[in-house]
Amino acid sequence: MIRTPLRPLARILKAREQGQNPDAIEAENKRLRHEDDRDRSRLQAESRLLVMGVAFFCAFLVIGARMGMLAGSVPEEPTAQASGSPIIGQRADIVDRNGRVLATNLDTHSLYAQIPDMIDPAKAARELAAIFPELEEDELLEDFTGSRRFLWVRREISPEQMQAVHDIGDPGLLFGPREMRLYPNGSVAAHILGGATYGREGVNSAEVIGVAGVEKFFDDALRDPSRGGAPLELSLDLTVQAASERVLHGGMMLMQAKGASSVLMDVHTGEIISMVSLPDFDPNDRPRVLTAADNATDQSDSPLFNRAVQGVYELGSVFKIFTVAQAIELGLINAGTMIDTQGPLQWGRFRIRDFHDYGAQLSATDVIVKSSNIGTARIAMMIGGERQRDFLGQLGLLEETQVEMVEAPTGDPLLPPNWSEISTMTISYGHGLSSSPVHLAAAYSSLLNGGTRVEPTLLRQDGPQNGPRIVSEQVSAVSRDMLRAVVTEGTASFGDVEGYEVGGKTGTADKPRPTGGYYDDRTIATFASVFPADDPRYVLIVTLDEPSVEALGEQRRTAGWTAVPVAAEMTRRVAPLLGMRPDVETATPTGVTLTSN
Amino acid sequence: MSYLEYQVKYVPSGFRKLMYLNWPVVFLITAVSGFGFLMLYSVAGGSMDPWVTAQSQRFGLGMAVMMIMALIPIWFWRNMAVVAYVVALLLLVAVEFVGVERNGSQRWIDLGPMDLQPSELMKIALIMLLAAYYDWLPLKKVSRPLWIIIPLLFIAAPAYLVLSQPDLGTTILLVTGGGAIMFLAGVHWAYFATVIAGGVGLVTAVFQTRGTPWQILQDYQYRRIDTFLDPTQDPLGAGYHITQAKIALGSGGWTGRGYMQGTQSRLNFLPEKHTDFIFTTLAEEFGFVGAFGLLVLYALIIIFCVMSAITNKDRFASLVTMGVAVTFFLFFAVNMAMVMGLAPVVGVPLPLVSYGGSAMLVLMVAFGLVQSAHVHKPR
Repeated sequence: MIRTPLRPLARILKAREQGQNPDAIEAENKRLRHEDDRDRSRLQAESRLLVMGVAFFCAFLVIGARMGMLAGSVPEEPTAQASGSPIIGQRADIVDRNGRVLATNLDTHSLYAQIPDMIDPAKAARELAAIFPELEEDELLEDFTGSRRFLWVRREISPEQMQAVHDIGDPGLLFGPREMRLYPNGSVAAHILGGATYGREGVNSAEVIGVAGVEKFFDDALRDPSRGGAPLELSLDLTVQAASERVLHGGMMLMQAKGASSVLMDVHTGEIISMVSLPDFDPNDRPRVLTAADNATDQSDSPLFNRAVQGVYELGSVFKIFTVAQAIELGLINAGTMIDTQGPLQWGRFRIRDFHDYGAQLSATDVIVKSSNIGTARIAMMIGGERQRDFLGQLGLLEETQVEMVEAPTGDPLLPPNWSEISTMTISYGHGLSSSPVHLAAAYSSLLNGGTRVEPTLLRQDGPQNGPRIVSEQVSAVSRDMLRAVVTEGTASFGDVEGYEVGGKTGTADKPRPTGGYYDDRTIATFASVFPADDPRYVLIVTLDEPSVEALGEQRRTAGWTAVPVAAEMTRRVAPLLGMRPDVETATPTGVTLTSN
Repeated sequence: MSYLEYQVKYVPSGFRKLMYLNWPVVFLITAVSGFGFLMLYSVAGGSMDPWVTAQSQRFGLGMAVMMIMALIPIWFWRNMAVVAYVVALLLLVAVEFVGVERNGSQRWIDLGPMDLQPSELMKIALIMLLAAYYDWLPLKKVSRPLWIIIPLLFIAAPAYLVLSQPDLGTTILLVTGGGAIMFLAGVHWAYFATVIAGGVGLVTAVFQTRGTPWQILQDYQYRRIDTFLDPTQDPLGAGYHITQAKIALGSGGWTGRGYMQGTQSRLNFLPEKHTDFIFTTLAEEFGFVGAFGLLVLYALIIIFCVMSAITNKDRFASLVTMGVAVTFFLFFAVNMAMVMGLAPVVGVPLPLVSYGGSAMLVLMVAFGLVQSAHVHKPR
């Protein structure tokens, strides 16, 4: 770039020498520089304008092309997408494993008021209050005559109510189509389904969204139009679920428990056939969440609380079978090995006792049958903490379950802060480690189905889960034999159901006090059972919260007196519904004399 | 550079100035507004009320304001630039405190008979200030960082205030319009390249990290962006306007259904049918021919403005003219793109056609500046 010098000194000096006035030269120079500046700015401005012009032109092209495209497109029929038409079938149904409806939609109407269009607010308020007893005439009138322009009167109304409101004849009272979620079976499977509520509401339609349970877990899938309204198939069996609820409710009343839960699981597929938590609620009319005003100590007192999934408890002696099975799997003992059960077992400042004194030695089978804490703890010491933790981890007892409910992550097992030797001993008989009934059902299924891991699921499965192997077939069979012996000759003698060969293990755990230590008179009684024991198909877990029953002149709180009979009654009712025929040995005719002889 | 440094041979004076008006622009503005009246008459169901009467009165008032502004010398407007900007900025701050809220956004100041929307004033004031700034700034300083920060602050202050109202449409107009003036004033390419590259990088980063553990935004924010970019995902909410507008455009076809024969707009399927979405009525009733005709009218206005700017030797006048042209262009380009589903819905009216007093008056004032610049060209 050639620069013009600011002051043309050479020329000025020359002019001075020649006696001419240098100002003229300087003025001329200034003018030239200004012109030069201007020319350059012009050039630049014009190039920028050109770029801008090209940008404009491109934008015009795009807009014009788009206009042409839209003009050339075949118009979609406007009426089909008009805003007035309600959107139907937004949310898929939920059905049980046999296609019976658990949740569906009902077309209904909402009632709203366009207040500026109302003719006689006083009459409308009076007659509305007569149609809907829960509405107050004064409040309605206040709303209708106040500054509001729009008011939802009722979210859902019945056809009769709609006709009655129509007969008021006020043009300011209008109806909007709307779908509501309906649970035709009422409280059956309430905790699993959860419930639904309205999201965004408009006068022409409203969004139905899940608030809990599978409704919330599968919210996106249920609302996904691309599924074409195909129902969501759960693993539940509606009749089994209903029967389980009846039996468990009766049992809870009889045993004076404040809560109860049950889980029935297919041992091969991990499908949850029924899952009950009591007290329950009606998902058509969900109770509100407990607040501080209700004086509730924790949310587990709410009927909304799902004990089977969210309730993590120390489940007690039902864990013993895991310890024994692992020891057999590792080759440390076999079913007949004699275990030292001399008590009490002192470990540091802890002392482990048994419910009764079982003498110096018991066989491994009898440790389970008689439920010896000392014997189990000694076996656990042979195994060691690390192997024990690995094994319980393989059974899925150390992490949250993958069951398809939004509540599942809240049922996270409580583990001891450090897995010390005393923890190893207490965990071996089910203390110091809390988990939910669903965890237990999955772990029992995994152990007893032949020894392969199953994950609990609420979705209908087509075949068995082929999970990783945990124990061998033989160990699984030995475990079942031991559980069967618990029923035939041990703590669960009330658990036998003729023809279904029930095996199981009781567990009675003292409830921990919130302040530390344990209550003497409050227990969690659990019976974990499997049937039939020789060819396992189902695992049933029954848990009663604070049961107490008077029998043989004593208050009984142990599982053998409380949870076991309830579970037996449930098996008796449910097994035929599951299509299982009782396997009754034909009795040999005795005391019958042939008359013809 | 002082105005007097141009070697001005002749400047018209008195009412002789009227002869030097940019008459084609006046005619084009009248034609577009006439188109607007036709459409407002149609969407009102064949009635002057409630929109045509009010709109035509405003147009008359706006025309008068434009003429008066055209007669006032352009150097007066240059000297008013700072005052206009400061007043508009103060009003924008005031609207935060005493503003009237409508449709969930606080933009208006109640002035009794009419409502004032300070963000509309700011559109003009910002153009004037930036043009005056670059007129004052020596050419060689234009691309120095310090002298770039100053105009950026001029743009950022009102943009922030308007965005917080919230009014995304006006914010886009302010920022893009201001950026265009900086571009035209000759700020170095590299700055624009950097900003564009940075913007693209940021957007890419935001979307690329989605679903990874170090994602930048929350999940619900991503979902909002999704609906914003593709409103059809939410046909009852954000996407409702767009779906209906596309149907209207499609049903118009090439030649339209005929004046007053549009179903989509007349049957109340379309909300905002007389304001931001009036283009759909036009496209349905006059078809591609009508819609493209309107686009051509707009394009002619822009072309005449650009020609006036090119032939104007005064830097302020030229920059103001181009600033108005760019803003005007953004108005209709954003509106049309939005209605046709090319761009997200941001709430920008169709200039001179949509019903609305503030927007109409502001555009007429802006064209007053353009006319003044044209009349007082150094000849």
